[in-house]
Amino acid sequence: MKITEQLDKLLMRVEKPARYTGGEWNTAKKDPSKIKTRFGFAFPDTYEIGMSYLGLQIIYHLLNKEDSVYCERVFAPALDMEALMRTEGLPLFTLETKSEVKDLDILGFTLQYELSFSNIINMLDLGGIPYKSSERDSGDPFIAAGGPCAFNPEPLADVVDFFMLGDGEEVLIEVCALHGRWKDSGQEKEVFLKQLTQIKGVYVPKFYSPVYNDDGTIKEIIKNYEQAPDMVEKCIVEDLETVDFPVNSIVPFIEAVHDRAVVEIFRGCSRGCRFCQAGMIYRPVRERSKDKIKEIAAQQLNATGHEELSILSLSTSDHSEIEPLVKELMHICKENNVSLSLPSLRLDSFSFKVLSEIQGYKKSGLTFAPEAGTQRLRDVINKSITDHDIYHSMEQAIELGWTNIKLYFMVGLPTETFEDLDGIVEIAKNITDINYRITGKRGRFNITVSVSNFVPKAHTPFQWVPQNTAEQFREKHYYLKDRLKKIKGVSFNYHGTDASHMEAVFARGDRRVCDALIRAKELGCKFDGWREHFQYELWIKAFQETGIDPDFYAIRERSYDEILPWDLIDAGISKKFLMTENNQAISGVQSPDCRVQCIGCGINEKVNCTKEGTL
Amino acid sequence: MNRYVIKFSKEGILRYISHLDLLRLFKRSFKRVGIKLLYSQGFNPHPKMSFAQPLSLGYSSTGEYLEFETTTSVPAGEILTKINSIMPEGILILSCDELTEGGKTLAALTEYADYELSIPLENSLDENVKELIDKYMHQEQIKVLKHQRKSGKDIEIDIKPLISEIDGTILDNNNKLIMLTVKLAAGSNANLSPEMILTSFFNFAEMTYDRAKVFIKRTEIYFSNN
Repeated sequence: MKITEQLDKLLMRVEKPARYTGGEWNTAKKDPSKIKTRFGFAFPDTYEIGMSYLGLQIIYHLLNKEDSVYCERVFAPALDMEALMRTEGLPLFTLETKSEVKDLDILGFTLQYELSFSNIINMLDLGGIPYKSSERDSGDPFIAAGGPCAFNPEPLADVVDFFMLGDGEEVLIEVCALHGRWKDSGQEKEVFLKQLTQIKGVYVPKFYSPVYNDDGTIKEIIKNYEQAPDMVEKCIVEDLETVDFPVNSIVPFIEAVHDRAVVEIFRGCSRGCRFCQAGMIYRPVRERSKDKIKEIAAQQLNATGHEELSILSLSTSDHSEIEPLVKELMHICKENNVSLSLPSLRLDSFSFKVLSEIQGYKKSGLTFAPEAGTQRLRDVINKSITDHDIYHSMEQAIELGWTNIKLYFMVGLPTETFEDLDGIVEIAKNITDINYRITGKRGRFNITVSVSNFVPKAHTPFQWVPQNTAEQFREKHYYLKDRLKKIKGVSFNYHGTDASHMEAVFARGDRRVCDALIRAKELGCKFDGWREHFQYELWIKAFQETGIDPDFYAIRERSYDEILPWDLIDAGISKKFLMTENNQAISGVQSPDCRVQCIGCGINEKVNCTKEGTL
Repeated sequence: MNRYVIKFSKEGILRYISHLDLLRLFKRSFKRVGIKLLYSQGFNPHPKMSFAQPLSLGYSSTGEYLEFETTTSVPAGEILTKINSIMPEGILILSCDELTEGGKTLAALTEYADYELSIPLENSLDENVKELIDKYMHQEQIKVLKHQRKSGKDIEIDIKPLISEIDGTILDNNNKLIMLTVKLAAGSNANLSPEMILTSFFNFAEMTYDRAKVFIKRTEIYFSNN
C-alpha cells in the first residue's frame, strides 16, 4: 500500500493532522525520478518546532534551487502519530512526496539541542534504518548532521556518517554536487565518504578512532585514513550580503511556535560571554546591511502574507544601523498591517521608545537577562551588564507602564557562592521597591525570576569546568525559592535538574555515550526536551546497563592538557584563547567587546573580522 | 462599503486544517495578492472577514462561504482570479459576488446545510436502506444525548425537527458502504451536527462502523431570504 493511502486512514485519528500532510505554500514540487540527490532535512522534534527554525527555511530554499537536488522535510511524529505508525506499519516519511526516508540518498539531521538526540535514534528506527553507520549497507541513505551540537559530534559519531560544521550554505551545495558525481561513478559508499574528507567543514568520524587511558580520558585519536584532515575546520560564509536568503519561505497551515517572516540581521556576536557557545562558535560577526534586510523583509512579507515580522541575531541592538533599521521596518510594518517583533533587545532608551510604540496599550512582558546576581559573578562570565544598567532600565520600564518583568539567571556558574544567589534575590527586591517608589503601589506588578542550570559546553572558556551536582542545584533552587517567596509580586521558576544533567553529559560526551543513548531509546526515551516526556529514571537505567558513568562527563573537572573529544573540531577560535578566557574568569576579570578591542580569539586568522575595534 | 462573498471548496489534504487555520490562510492570501481588507478600529485591529459556518476538521466541502470587506472597490472577477492563482491544492474559489451594504452577516442568515456521509459498515446491512430511513423518521421523537458545554452535563434532546431532509443509498455490492445525504438545521438559531445523526441513525439501525473511516462532505449552505 502506498504511504499516502495508509496515511489518509490515520489522519482522522491524530491530533493536528496537518503536521503530516505537507502541501503548504512555497514547498518544492519536483519529480523524484529526475533527481540525482534526494536529501531529507530531518528535524528531530515536532513539525511546529521545526517549522519555526530559520535554518530549515534557508537550507530548504538553497538546496531546492539546485536542479539535481530535491530537499524534502522530515519531522518527528508526535506520540499519538508514532503509536499509530507503529501499529499500522507506516514508516517515517517525507512531507513532500510521502517517500520512505529509507529511499532518500542523504538524511540530514539538524542538531539544535542535546536533548533531541534520542529522537534522532527513534526517527531512524521509524524509518527502518539501522542506528549505527557500521550496521548500514548500500541500500541505506547516508546519515548526515549539522548545527551547533555538531561542534561536539562525538556522542553521535557511531550514528552519523558525516557531520558538516559551521555555516551550511556553501558546504551543503558542495556535498550534494559531490554526491551526484559519486552516484554517477557507481562506486561504493566508502569512496564517497573518503571524498567528503576533502571538503572543508566535513567530518567523517569513521576515519578517526579514539584510544583511551585507564582513567577513561582520551589518550590519542588515531587517524584511519591518511588523507583525512588532522583537524576539521568549520565553514564560514564571509559575506551575508551576497549569500542567498529565502524570501519565499514555507508558510505552515497550522500554527507553528513562531509564525512569522524573519530576517537574520547578523551572524555571530562580539560580546564574548564566557558561558555562551553560540557566541564562540558563530564568530566572527557578519552583518547584513539595512537596505538588504529591508529588501528581504518586504519580499518575504509579499511571498508569505505573514502578519508578523521578526529580525534575528544573537543580540539585536548590536547591529551597527539598528536605530534607522528599526524605524524603517516599523514603517514597512505599519503600511501592511504587520506587527513587528524585536527579540533580544538591549534595554536602552531607544529600545524603550520603540517597544512602547510597537506594543502600544497591550504591553507584553519585558525580559531582562542579567544571568548572574552580583557584579563579581557577571565579571566572571563576562556579561557586561552593571547594577546601574539593570535598575536604570527597570525605572524606565516602570515609568512607561510595564507591569510584567521577566528576569533570567543561571545557577551553577563557575565560582558561584550563596552571596551571588542573595544577589538575585536582592535584584528582584530592589525592582519591586523601584516600582513602589514610582507608582506608589505594590499590587498589579509581577516579576518572574527564571533560573536555568548552567551546562558547560564544548568550545567555550568553561569547557573544562565541572557542572554542579544534582544536590548542589537543588540546594540552590530551594535557597532561592525560600527567599523569593517572601517578596510580594515575585514568582520563581527553575529548570529541571535532571534534564540539565543529561544535557551536560551529551554536551561534552565522547563516543562511548552513544551506547547509552541507543539503550535509552530502546527503553522508551524520546522528546527529552519536553518536561512532560523526559524520563530520567530510564536514562539512568540506560547508563547503568551500558556501564557508562554519566558523571564522568557532567561533573568532572578537566585539566588543560587533557585531550577533549571535540579537539579535532576547529571552531575557528584557538584553545589558547579559551584557556586565557577561563583564567580571566577565575580571576574575575572582564574582557572587552571585540568592537572595543580585539581579544585575540584567533578567528581573524581565518577570515577578515570587520568589527574589530569599531566602537 | 465594499462587501463581498466568495464560495469555495475545501478538499483533499486541506480538510485536515482547522477553522482557525483556514481563517489565517485567507488573511494571508489577501495580503499576498495585495487586496487590502478593511480592519476594525480599536486596540486590537482585525480584518473584517468571517465564514458563514465553521467546518469541522476532517470534513471536506464543496459549498463554503466567506464574507469580507475591502478598503477599495475591486471587481469581483479579479478577486476570484487572484485568490485562485495562489490557493494551495485543495481549495478552489467557485464564485465571488458583491454583497449589498448593511444587512446581516452570513452567519446570522445561515439556516440549513447539506451533507453527504459515506459510511463503511463493519457488517452488511440486511435491510433496505430507504425503508430503514423511513422507520427512523417515523419515530415520534428522535432522542439523542447532547453534551452541554456550560453545565458539563449530557441532556436529551429531540433532533427530529432539525432534520429537514434525509435519504440513503448503498454504494457497493455487499451492502457495506452506505451514503446518507441530509439537509440539517444550521446556524445560530438551531444547529444539528452530522455527527449526531450518524450516531443516532446507526444506533437505531443497530449497525457498527469505525468513525475514522467515515467521510463527511458539506455540499451546500442555505441562507434565509438572500
